[in-house]
Amino acid sequence: MSKKAIVSLLILSMIAVACATEEAVEEVAVEEEHDHSDESTLDEVIERGFLKCGISTGATGFSEQADDGSFGGFDVDFCYAVAAAVFGDYSKVEFKQLTSAERFTSLAAGEVDVLFRNTTWTQSRDTELGNDFGPTTYFDGQQLLGRKADGITESSTLADIDGLRVCTNAGTTTEKNITEGAGLAGATIELVTVEAFAEAVDKFIAGECDIITTDGSALVGRRAVNDALNDWVIFPTSPISKEPLGPTYRSNDSEWADVVNWTVYATIIADEYGVTSANVDSVDTDALPELGRLFGANDGELQTKMGLSADAFYNVIKQVGNYDQIYSRNLNPLGLFREGGANDRWTNGGLIYAPPAR
Amino acid sequence: MNLEFKKSIAWMRENLFSSIPSSILTVATSFFVLGFFRGLFGFAMASDKDWLSVLNNMQLYMVQAYPEEDFIRVWISVGLALVFAGMSIGLWKSTEESSLSEVFSKFLRVSLAFLFFTVVAPTFSSVTDNDGIIQTEESFPMETRLQLLIPSAILVVVFFVLKNLKLNYKFNKSDLLCFYLAIPIVLMWIIKLPTIQLDSSNQRIFPDPLMPIADTTKTPWTIIFGLFLAFYFIGSRFKDSKNIKRTMSISWVLLPLFIFSWIFKKPEIDLPTILGQDIPIFIGIFLIGALTITFINNPVVEKYFSIYLGVLIAITGIALFISIPILLKSALLLLVLFTIVIPAVSSSTKGKRNLIIVWGVSLFTLSVLIRGGSSDTQIIVQQQSIFGGFSLTWLLAIFGTYVSFPLGVLLALGRNSKLPIVRLVCTGIIELTRSVPYITWLFFASVTMAVFLPEGVNFELVVRVLMVTAFFSGAYFAENIRGGLQSIPKGQYEAADAIGMSPFQKTSLIVMPQALRAIIPTLVSSAITAFKDSSLVTIIGLIDFLTIGKVIIGTQSIPVNFVGHDRENLLFIAFFYWIFTFTLSRRSMKVEKRLGLGER
Repeated sequence: MSKKAIVSLLILSMIAVACATEEAVEEVAVEEEHDHSDESTLDEVIERGFLKCGISTGATGFSEQADDGSFGGFDVDFCYAVAAAVFGDYSKVEFKQLTSAERFTSLAAGEVDVLFRNTTWTQSRDTELGNDFGPTTYFDGQQLLGRKADGITESSTLADIDGLRVCTNAGTTTEKNITEGAGLAGATIELVTVEAFAEAVDKFIAGECDIITTDGSALVGRRAVNDALNDWVIFPTSPISKEPLGPTYRSNDSEWADVVNWTVYATIIADEYGVTSANVDSVDTDALPELGRLFGANDGELQTKMGLSADAFYNVIKQVGNYDQIYSRNLNPLGLFREGGANDRWTNGGLIYAPPAR
Repeated sequence: MNLEFKKSIAWMRENLFSSIPSSILTVATSFFVLGFFRGLFGFAMASDKDWLSVLNNMQLYMVQAYPEEDFIRVWISVGLALVFAGMSIGLWKSTEESSLSEVFSKFLRVSLAFLFFTVVAPTFSSVTDNDGIIQTEESFPMETRLQLLIPSAILVVVFFVLKNLKLNYKFNKSDLLCFYLAIPIVLMWIIKLPTIQLDSSNQRIFPDPLMPIADTTKTPWTIIFGLFLAFYFIGSRFKDSKNIKRTMSISWVLLPLFIFSWIFKKPEIDLPTILGQDIPIFIGIFLIGALTITFINNPVVEKYFSIYLGVLIAITGIALFISIPILLKSALLLLVLFTIVIPAVSSSTKGKRNLIIVWGVSLFTLSVLIRGGSSDTQIIVQQQSIFGGFSLTWLLAIFGTYVSFPLGVLLALGRNSKLPIVRLVCTGIIELTRSVPYITWLFFASVTMAVFLPEGVNFELVVRVLMVTAFFSGAYFAENIRGGLQSIPKGQYEAADAIGMSPFQKTSLIVMPQALRAIIPTLVSSAITAFKDSSLVTIIGLIDFLTIGKVIIGTQSIPVNFVGHDRENLLFIAFFYWIFTFTLSRRSMKVEKRLGLGER
């Protein structure tokens, strides 16, 4: 054989090897083909054996990763709740930490089944992006944080920030809200945009800005941590924007939507009856028929029709807890309390309300 | 006044204060450097910094969410790498020796530096209070300073005296290295560090109590260091054996592959399949290859060699499209590749024996990779990527360099090839990859690549990122290597042709060694760039070393409360990156020195 023939054969075979190794990897990495159109996400999730939940890379109180790599927080607990409903085991969940820029792409590409990621329910996100929103788990609203030294009090309004430097995240609705609001109130502000909220706080502490603005929950949490309750003021009392945060999933999949929605509702109903993970076993289901139906009476007809097991919501309460437990566990230490706020029970004048389980 | 002191005065006069401008420059520079150090020290010592946010999150930094019950795999990987390192240090044991006074002079310099920094460190540091007003507080009081000053001054004196005793005991430099490495291991058992402890109501206790380092940290490190020492001694016993050295070199190349496929995945050991399918396939293919190598020069065999090769290629081609075990397919492909290469390499008896060994090792590696890589039982992690933190950074850096370097060599050779189609393809790949920013490639991997792949094929995000990284740094390596190739005089090629070397021999024995030797500095700087650039993956949602410190730790609230402590972590991250890149560049300088680079 001539040298040239050898060389060309060598190259040919290298290409072949490259193809073959690729093929080998393909066969390894290949996943079951999904046809999103006629298979519900619920079937996909059950077949896969675990839930893929999209959470934030880091939001104090909502999604945190501890030093041993475990996850915790308000949003994370709802991921656990959905897993408990589907599998009867809260730990069957895989988290994906998403930046705000990639959350909807990730959801649309099927990389996550549901988003619990501080996502505000807005008209355009609901209608244009191919998403649907579930029941709001946390009613938030944009507020501002300033210093007493600058003459800011709790009754201050947007008109009082005239001439101050305001730090906020670039390219978010937060930024739009504050420019819009300040313009309407006739205040001229100097806007300083940063990439992350933590950076804004650093600048605030360093005195590079006089006001920071973002969702009220983050402000309260951060104020509690910095132990400056006497110096830092959060205002105005009624937020300048509505930020209903809740689960997000792909459109046109009502079977999966029902599972997510009713998991959230189950935690709320249990809270209404005062059923917690501690006393769920001793509930008298004959006296409280709604709870009985929710926890699997009549062979759990309501649940089995959804494609879940009869005791799906019993598992949610048992393993994760009711709404109040989830809330107080994660948010009370940060200084966020339900009493008198929008996140109180509807019977106490709040907005947390669930349709009846019948 | 002794002679040495006079010498140093003279040196200073000559180099630092030779003229008025140079004196001004010296003073100004020292002023800035000192100011920078004092600022840094004040920042680190200020009371509002919580350095436990770094220390407490080491596990998160290193492996992120890797399950604790599988940590043994991580320790095995680290241990394996260090055992290999020990063996190699022993095998290639340095012949240089340092005398005891040189060792003491090193210690003297360290303690002098410590003394110097203790003296110049600022007493006060500035703390920004909650109103944004900068306040000064005493962070390094006189008592603490004295407590540090006295021992360091004593150490300086002791080492100065010891150094000037001119003790003439000589130590081997490699032995000394092992001794230096033992210092942190011993310290690990002695020192106590502040640790986060919770009281009965789950609140953090302040100030953090001092506790010895956890057994789960120091025991594995001690065992690993023991093994390191043992293999160092084994290695130095066999330092004259060429074969062991060669085996060691090959093992280094194989190590990342084994760690990747074996340690990071839970292998599914299915004994019947291994015994009934994998081992027969391995033995069969191995024998065919070995026989081919043995009888290649036999005149009768040579006559029918092209027919044999044709049949083999045909069988492999068919095998690719029918459903047989994947191991058989890939083994056949490897066999074809080997059979084609064989006539081009040396055919002496010794060469053949080595070739059979190489063949066996490659086939075995391939089998392990295919079987280990295809097992379904992965380690269960609570997040999407099993790699996170430093393990991801390390994976991207090592695997990026590991795959892209050979790719770069092939692309560079291809670009210089006489065959137009090869040249065109290689030039195309290089120019296409280099002309697009790395971030764009990352977005391509994250968003677009799924569209390009055939239906039903889906790689993990990390694998996709590894693929684009390999091509991207491969293209840069290729251009560097092409530069090296061009630096070789034409006479070298002609001389190789004149003594009748085959093109393969010419490339592997004459051209590549000289080309690579000439470009070691550029290669190292490429590797360092790849290591640092790996932090860019954060924009497509992979959590690397930097992101852990910048985003995740700053949100940990209950009960540790590290919210707002991201600046300490950024400083630590910078320091950590610096250690690695600095070590790498120092090692490469040593290699350059050994190869006599720049001396010819």
